[in-house]
Amino acid sequence: MLKKVIYALGAIALLFGLWGFYERLAFGEEYVSYGSAVVWGLWVAVYFLFGGIAIGSFLVASLEYLFGIEAFQGYGKPALWTSLVTLAVAMMSVGFDLGHMERIWKAFLQPNFNSGVVADVWSYTIFGVLTLIALILAVRQPKNAALKIVMGLGFVVALFAAGSPGKFLGDNATRLYWHAALLPMQFVFMALLTGAAMTLAVQAFVSPREGTKQASSILSLASVVLLVISLYFVWAYFSQSLYGNIPSLKDSINELIRGQYAWLFWGVEILIGAIVPLLVLIQPKLAQNQLWAGLMGLFILIGNGVARYLIIVPGLNVTVLNNIETAYQGPGLTLSYSPSPVEWAVAAGALGIVILALLLGADFLPLYSKKSEA
Amino acid sequence: MSNPDEANLLSKYASEAFAGLVAPVLDGLEISTLPAVDLPVKEDVLVRMERELKTALAKPASERRWVMVIDLRKCVGCTSCTVACIAENKLPPGVVYRPVLVEEIGTYPNTAMKFLPRPCMQCDKPPCTEVCPVNATYKNEEGVVVIDYDQCIGCRSCIAACPYGARSFDFGGTYLQNTPDNLDFMLGQSGADGYERLADFEYSEPRVRQGQNSPVGNARKCHFCLHRLAEGMLPACTTTCIGRATYFGDANDPGSLVSELISGNNVTRLKEELGTEPRVYYLV
Amino acid sequence: MTDKTIPTKSLSRRDFLKVSGASGATAALLGNLPSAFKKVQKTIAAAGEGNFFEAKPENIIYGVCLQCNTQCTIKGKIQDGVLVKVDGNPYSPNNMLPPVDYGTPLADAALLDGKLCPKGQATIQTQYDPYRLVKVLKRAGKRGENKWQVISFDQAINEIVNGGKLFSSIGEDRVVPGFKDVLVAKEAKVISALAADAAAVVSKKMTLDDFKSKHASDLDLLIDPDHPDLGVKNNQFIFQAGRIEPGRNNYAQRFTLNSCGSINWYDHTTICEQSHHIAYTYATAQYSGGKWAPGPNNMKPDILNAEFVIIWGTSPFEANFGPTIMSETITKSLTERNFHFAVVDPRLSKTAAKGWWIPVQPMGDLPLAMGLIRWILENKRYDVTFLSNANKGAALAHGEKSWTNSSWLVKVDPSTGSGQAGHAGALLHGSQLGLVTSQTTTDASGNSVTTWLATNGTTYNLDPFVVLVNGTPTLFDPADDKNPVSGDLLVNTTLQGIAVKSGLQVLLDEASVNSIDDWAKMAGVDTNTLVKLADEYTSHGKKAGVEFYRGAVQHTNGYYTGQALITLNLLVGNLDWKGGLSAGGGAWNAIGNKDKPFDLGGDHPGKIGAFGIKMTREGVAYEKTTLFQDYPAQRPFYPYTSNVYQEVIPAAYAQYPYPAKILWLHMGTPALAAPAGAEQIKMLTDTDKFPLFIADDIVIAETSMYADYLFPDLTYVERWAFLGSPPPDPTKNIRVRQPIAAPIPEIVTVDGEPMPVSMESIMIAIGKALSLPGIGKGGFDKHGDFNRPEDYYLRGIANIAFGDKADGSDAVPDADDSEVAVFQTARAFLPKAVFDAAKWQSAAGDSMWRKVIYVMNRGGRFESFSKAYTGNFLGHPYGKQMNLFVEPVATGKDSITGKFFSGTAHFEPIHNSTGTLVDDKDMPFHLITYKEVTGGQSRTISNYWTQGGMGIVPTNYVKMNPDDAMGLGIHDGDTVQLFSRTNSDGILDLGNGQRESVQGKVKLTQTIRPGVIMVSWSYGHWAYGARDVTIDNQIVRGDPRRAVGLCSNPVLLLDEGTKTTCLTDPIGGSASFYDTKVKVQKV
Ligand SMILES: Nc1nc2c(c(=O)[nH]1)N[C@H]1C(S)=C(S)[C@@H](COP(=O)(O)OP(=O)(O)OC[C@H]3O[C@@H](n4cnc5c(=O)[nH]c(N)nc54)[C@H](O)[C@@H]3O)O[C@H]1N2
Ligand SMILES: Nc1nc2c(c(=O)[nH]1)N[C@H]1C(S)=C(S)[C@@H](COP(=O)(O)OP(=O)(O)OC[C@H]3O[C@@H](n4cnc5c(=O)[nH]c(N)nc54)[C@H](O)[C@@H]3O)O[C@H]1N2
Ligand code: SF4
Ligand code: SF4
Ligand code: SF4
Ligand code: SF4
Ligand code: SF4
Ligand SMILES: [Mo]
Repeated sequence: MLKKVIYALGAIALLFGLWGFYERLAFGEEYVSYGSAVVWGLWVAVYFLFGGIAIGSFLVASLEYLFGIEAFQGYGKPALWTSLVTLAVAMMSVGFDLGHMERIWKAFLQPNFNSGVVADVWSYTIFGVLTLIALILAVRQPKNAALKIVMGLGFVVALFAAGSPGKFLGDNATRLYWHAALLPMQFVFMALLTGAAMTLAVQAFVSPREGTKQASSILSLASVVLLVISLYFVWAYFSQSLYGNIPSLKDSINELIRGQYAWLFWGVEILIGAIVPLLVLIQPKLAQNQLWAGLMGLFILIGNGVARYLIIVPGLNVTVLNNIETAYQGPGLTLSYSPSPVEWAVAAGALGIVILALLLGADFLPLYSKKSEA
Repeated sequence: MSNPDEANLLSKYASEAFAGLVAPVLDGLEISTLPAVDLPVKEDVLVRMERELKTALAKPASERRWVMVIDLRKCVGCTSCTVACIAENKLPPGVVYRPVLVEEIGTYPNTAMKFLPRPCMQCDKPPCTEVCPVNATYKNEEGVVVIDYDQCIGCRSCIAACPYGARSFDFGGTYLQNTPDNLDFMLGQSGADGYERLADFEYSEPRVRQGQNSPVGNARKCHFCLHRLAEGMLPACTTTCIGRATYFGDANDPGSLVSELISGNNVTRLKEELGTEPRVYYLV
Repeated sequence: MTDKTIPTKSLSRRDFLKVSGASGATAALLGNLPSAFKKVQKTIAAAGEGNFFEAKPENIIYGVCLQCNTQCTIKGKIQDGVLVKVDGNPYSPNNMLPPVDYGTPLADAALLDGKLCPKGQATIQTQYDPYRLVKVLKRAGKRGENKWQVISFDQAINEIVNGGKLFSSIGEDRVVPGFKDVLVAKEAKVISALAADAAAVVSKKMTLDDFKSKHASDLDLLIDPDHPDLGVKNNQFIFQAGRIEPGRNNYAQRFTLNSCGSINWYDHTTICEQSHHIAYTYATAQYSGGKWAPGPNNMKPDILNAEFVIIWGTSPFEANFGPTIMSETITKSLTERNFHFAVVDPRLSKTAAKGWWIPVQPMGDLPLAMGLIRWILENKRYDVTFLSNANKGAALAHGEKSWTNSSWLVKVDPSTGSGQAGHAGALLHGSQLGLVTSQTTTDASGNSVTTWLATNGTTYNLDPFVVLVNGTPTLFDPADDKNPVSGDLLVNTTLQGIAVKSGLQVLLDEASVNSIDDWAKMAGVDTNTLVKLADEYTSHGKKAGVEFYRGAVQHTNGYYTGQALITLNLLVGNLDWKGGLSAGGGAWNAIGNKDKPFDLGGDHPGKIGAFGIKMTREGVAYEKTTLFQDYPAQRPFYPYTSNVYQEVIPAAYAQYPYPAKILWLHMGTPALAAPAGAEQIKMLTDTDKFPLFIADDIVIAETSMYADYLFPDLTYVERWAFLGSPPPDPTKNIRVRQPIAAPIPEIVTVDGEPMPVSMESIMIAIGKALSLPGIGKGGFDKHGDFNRPEDYYLRGIANIAFGDKADGSDAVPDADDSEVAVFQTARAFLPKAVFDAAKWQSAAGDSMWRKVIYVMNRGGRFESFSKAYTGNFLGHPYGKQMNLFVEPVATGKDSITGKFFSGTAHFEPIHNSTGTLVDDKDMPFHLITYKEVTGGQSRTISNYWTQGGMGIVPTNYVKMNPDDAMGLGIHDGDTVQLFSRTNSDGILDLGNGQRESVQGKVKLTQTIRPGVIMVSWSYGHWAYGARDVTIDNQIVRGDPRRAVGLCSNPVLLLDEGTKTTCLTDPIGGSASFYDTKVKVQKV
């Protein structure tokens, strides 16, 4: 029953998404709300979120294949599949964000290695290829030296890739909100966190199975630790910025603390995305309950999605030169951003694809051992 | 702007862009200390700059150093440069290469208004080029930061990286979209849109902006009107400037007007502290 | 033509190679093919590839801008038959300081673009406005309902000429009069006889009965035989133009006055800055033949050489005459030499931002000026020598070019009689002191000549004026350059029982009615500032001046304010000096005369001299009409001014002095542009008062939407005109407007000649339909036919090319073959209905043709800038008299109050025509208006680059000082509604049940004086593409981007006397724009 509901939700999301895909492909970026001032918006947040999940999920798989941790036996294949699916969707989302996605090959064949984007695209691509190989190997022959090597390589690339979005934002030295060495690190921890959270969510809603109490506990504990670290990051970051007292930076932070994003920041990122899961998951009983843990996993994912959004947008909707945004007015030149319907649709489509692919994968791919299937 | 904090806000926003550029007009009468000379009106400076342009063009490209000088004392905030640039390059809505920033400073009656035209600085150390994943934007051999529209994948990294907000993205719209069309008693959109539909000549490449073809989907920016320079014509913003506040030329030519102007002690550049080494100089 | 432009749809291989260049080609390929790890860097085209259309003279035609009335010369660049770029004309002093040599080859000039303001740049979007009319529309619903039907040009002409039951299909049973019914008087001879005798009746040289019996058979030609001075019925056709430019106005006057015989020709100057003009025309009036002939109407300080200028109620960086030509003179002077300036304006304009801002109170201009005058006079800071010079001889003797009447004696009415006690009225003449006697003789050719003989034997050919020279009455002739006479400046005495004062004394008395402190208080500035300003102004000798425009004069006391500001110039004796007051360089004569190739005014067989009293009762004194009974007149008379735009429609509606039959509105929008003009909407919808209302416009606009027939017109880049030098230009020039874009209006055939629909073609068509004189075959007499617009304009250009010397020695060179080729190639994209080389050549005449080409290839004729100055003087000095005391005004009376006007600057508070003061104490805010540099009147909302809902100034606001807003709890971005005493509902009523409130968004700013709010102009459109219209049952949607912002004119005050017209200056005729106080309410 729950599964049917989830299937239906996925299908609805994808349907809405199909309209968005059509609009995007037929009319380019005419109907998006990001622009020349706020150059990236929801789609890049989606990219960051799913990219992070992909990496986190891969790392979960590595617990089985690389580190051979007992409790995670059987988690490997679903985690690799999750990683692959979310990575694909992440790539699609950022592809739509490009003015000329048909030229993406140039990033491979005519790359500028000094560019953060190239580092990002390449590391994600290599990571994706490794994940795919790992998944194939894992399906064919779980106990395999080659798999270990691939997983080992993947592990390194994944850590690099995890921080890369943070790096490429941080490259913008004039945007103080991003230009903090903390940022790549923050992204790495976010990836880990979302990997754990995603696994909790997947096991609860996609493939409920038995004998994973231990894994649940470990994942919950990991989530708790990572949440605390994340909160520490936020605190370190905010307090530094606020005490540093540079107006342009303070403006961005204040937008979160008491400005237009306060409800998202306090309500979603902090309360739903961190405090509630923390309170729930530190209780061993609840942490071991798949549904509770899965729900908290979802909360964390939502909170993390918002956290990504709140890294991207406030870094952009501050003026780089005072009065520039009133000097000439036209589409894309304002500092205020909220996603357009097309953007929402594409994001929903991405979500729909992920949901459906996970469900279909669980139902039709040899990801789970027969006995553990629900 | 109704609370007293606004005064602070105003002074706060008397921002880095204008730091030090605020002429002392706040207090009433300012007697000119300049000499009583007859102005040289034998020749418009455009003619001189045009002549110097020819000299510069005779040299190999790499030996020219194009710079722009904007005299903020002379800028009257008319935005003619903004519009001339739009017309010259057939820019679509939302794409603007040279906005003029207007800033009000102070409290009545000690109020001032400042104007700051902002083309691309053509930075000698541009933060915008290295971020480009595909080398689509780079400093060309005459030092102008250009964008290869056929190469650009439209990732907008360069836009985020520019500290001057000098780049904008072409999302594909037109000024006349959604206006009436196909009427025999009125001109209608398709009869009217030649000025934005015919080929533009940026980088001397006639290019029709159509559908999702480049430059739609690309980052765009001021290019010092390379296509005009190639013909021996000064940039459109320079020629049209009614305050005659904008100058252009080869700073490698010690005799050029721009060399003369930037050797004064009233020269500044925007966000000098970043070390981007702009090639646009402001006189204050 | 083959290589004219780059192909636009696709790149040919040749172009591709050319564009990308040798190395570029490889690079471009790399851009298209995968090539791993290559740094991809394209090189741009090398210099001189010559591919760029803008660089070639074959793609260039020089024209004239009209986004604002500065009418700068422009360089139009044509790509694939589309005008895609407009720049400044390097040959012209409008766009270059100084321009290139007139002989510069076209190819060189092609590479050099002159300066141009942002509106000029946006010309393209005015030209290619999707809402531009192509076909003639006829009303298919009630007036203003915006239901239309497309009809053919021929049908339209036929209907408006012949009249009839034109609207029976929409249920209007009335018979509409056509031109044929109105233009009943046709014989020039009959009309001039009626005119002469009507004048005799007025001057009581003939009785009305005698008149009636003498003209019994023609009485039915008159509007009212009991008032023959009202003129013939033809006057019931009114041609009301908003903006109509020189050249075009001559064309339209030729038609209205001399082909149709109607006196009712108007333009819009009173809603513009007429009191400024009128103050100048009287200050520059010359006395001859016992009368004062008005002089030039616009002078400006020579900023390029001045040291200190007061810029008063105007903003040369944003408006004035105008940004393109004036800005650089200021910025250059400001940064390169010892120049500075003050700006008197309640708002910190962009101009004030660079100068010394004096935020005057809106009703405070005249007090401030009077205070300055008082200080200068009391502190003897005026140029005594200059002002003492009473005639030309004295001027020359003292190294001046011009002189004033400051020392001339004026008679002062001691008490009773018809005058007012103490009123300084007429100037004193020698005969009145018995110092001369007149004698009339007959000269050789039989004309009687009167001379005046003085007791000392001197003869004068006028009754000489009188000054005191060291107390002794001395006679002089102002034009006498041999016998210098300098008079005592401050005189207040009695000569032979006649109380007299000198002009300067009259001024001093006027300035002394208030203390300096009081003047300052009334002006809303502190005394220190006033004194500092006066001191500074008088510390630069002749290199100081006062520049003013609308802000100072669009008040009910605008004329006096203008006069006071001119007086300030006279006090420092700056006239004609380098750095002083300049009348401009003048222009070549295009209209022509007997000594020119053509005489566009005189060559008019059967020319009718229109006569009668104008609908607005302008240019005639109430007392000199048969309508005179006693004061007050039924509606005001405006003896000193003309073109009282705001009064045309209300007067016709009031049917005073007579009813109207046909109203033709050309390029005007009184309902939007005039103060309280929206009041005229209900008048225009009255088909009894306006039986036939036709308009020509480029779109369906705010006032033309009420018309019965709406004709498309050509824009300023499609049509013709010739315009003299703008006053800021010190050299002689004339600009030539010519078609630089293909016409948008449909091409029709008028009597076999194809031409686009335009004001010109409508006039030709009406003229031919009714065989009006001066149109068609032999229209220019022996100088040819008048079948096409070019038959007029090209002949004007031929006059320009010929020059001003009868022997032709002032002619331009012939265009050589290559120039002729460029001329032809550049125009090849124009349809034959516009450009037909053979027809053009035959209009201009073979002998002038190549000279005409030479002029057109350069967009006009421009003198070398080396002629701008001669030594310490302007190169084109005015060199005549200026009047500090204006006798004709001093001897005239207000038609309502019956009171004399003043001869010098004089303080007059803001008042209604009835004389009651305007003060509205219960209204807290003074409402003013101003122009953004991006806004061109009501004509630029289609310019999306600059104005229409996006771009540079997307919308306008109600701008107010935060201090004022705080008290009312108003915040930035709030919407507020405006209310005034005479628009207490704050409503704009568009008729047919369409009511809107006068409201807008608030923007708080420190750039305005507290207590004053401002609303910029050029927004608040209710038509012009902002509104849905139905044409041939098809709905054309309005564009919401054009409906942004507000127009504050609907809340401006109505006059208490007329109740239908705004407050008006009784002398200058200016409509009041800045005297209304309002209430602001948050909605
Ligand atoms: N941008 C632009 N330029 C134009 C035109 C245009 O449409 N747009 N049109 C042209 C035409 S037709 C004209 S007539 C000229 C007009 O040229 P200007 O007279 O320079 O222009 P306005 O903005 O109408 O002038 C009004 C000025 O007076 C100020 N003002 C308002 N009330 C008062 C007052 O009571 N006292 C004083 N001292 N100042 C006051 C306003 O703030 C404003 O700065 O511009 C010409 N140039
Ligand atoms: N609030 C406020 N009101 C003002 C002013 C202000 O500063 N503030 N300024 C005043 C001044 S200075 C002036 S001069 C007046 C101007 O007032 P008007 O002369 O009455 O108005 P315009 O806006 O010049 O022109 C009006 C009409 O011309 C039409 N039109 C435009 N181009 C063409 C064309 O090429 N041919 C024809 N046939 N029609 C055309 C337009 O559609 C419009 O209906 O406005 C005055 N009104
Ligand atoms: S101003 Fe911006 S876009 Fe221009 S070169 Fe510098 S960084 Fe690059
Ligand atoms: S938008 Fe284009 S030019 Fe800019 S960084 Fe991306 S690919 Fe390079
Ligand atoms: S140089 Fe050319 S591209 Fe750059 S701002 Fe000026 S007009 Fe625009
Ligand atoms: S055109 Fe010249 S005066 Fe006008 S805003 Fe631009 S730089 Fe300033
Ligand atoms: S000042 Fe500007 S709008 Fe006015 S005529 Fe000149 S270019 Fe055109
Ligand atoms: Mo005007």
